[in-house]
Amino acid sequence: MHDLRALMVQIELFRGLTEAQIDKLVAISQREVYPANATILNHNMPGDNLYIIVSGEVAVLKRGAAGQFYPALYLGEGQIFGEVALLDQGTRSAAITAVQADTVVYALGRQAFDALCQSDLALGFHVMRNLALDLAFKLRHRNYDMSGDV
Amino acid sequence: MIYKVSYVVLGGGHPGSIKTQTDQPRVGDRVRLGPNEFEIVEVQRMMPERDDLQFLHATVKPLTQPETS
Repeated sequence: MHDLRALMVQIELFRGLTEAQIDKLVAISQREVYPANATILNHNMPGDNLYIIVSGEVAVLKRGAAGQFYPALYLGEGQIFGEVALLDQGTRSAAITAVQADTVVYALGRQAFDALCQSDLALGFHVMRNLALDLAFKLRHRNYDMSGDV
Repeated sequence: MIYKVSYVVLGGGHPGSIKTQTDQPRVGDRVRLGPNEFEIVEVQRMMPERDDLQFLHATVKPLTQPETS
C-alpha cells in the first residue's frame, strides 16, 4: 500500500488529497498490465471505469469517416483516460491501446468512485477539480493542435 | 518541479502527446512521442502553474518519419 501510495502522490488527479484519502482511492483501484498493442478500451462501448497510467504509454484512437481508426493523441505516465464516459455515462468516444510493453494502469470503477466522493466530500471536490483541470488541459492541447494558437 | 507538457507536432501528420515529467522541456531536447522521435523547437506556458506543477506547451519537429494514419 505504501509503495503504491508514494506513486499515487505523483499523479495529478490526486493532488490536494491527504495520504488517508489517497489510500481510500487506492483501495478501490484495480491494477491492470497490458502488452504493446493490446486493446484497453473499445470505441463506442459502455464505460464504467476511469484509468490512470502509472507506467508506459497509450494511444487514443479515433474512428475516421471511412471507419478506420487513427491515433488522435498519445498519453504518457500520470495521465488519465476514460473520464468522459465515467462522467457522462455515455459510450466510449475513442479506443485505447497500449503503445509500450508492460503498460500499467489503475482502473477506478464509477460506482465505488461515486460512493467514495459522496462519503468524503473534500476528496470528491479535489478529484473533480483535478478532473476538470485535466479536461481543460486536453481541450487547450486540442485547440492548439487544430489552430496553432493556445 | 513537475511539468505537464502538451506536445504538438509542427506541420501536423502526428497526433501529438501529453506527458507529465520531472525534466523541464527545453528547445533542442529530443523526445519520443508514440513510435516517433522529435526535437523541441519552442516551449510556452499553457496555463498558470499550481504549486509545483507547471503546464507547458511544446512545439516539436520530427526527427524520424511520422506514421501516417
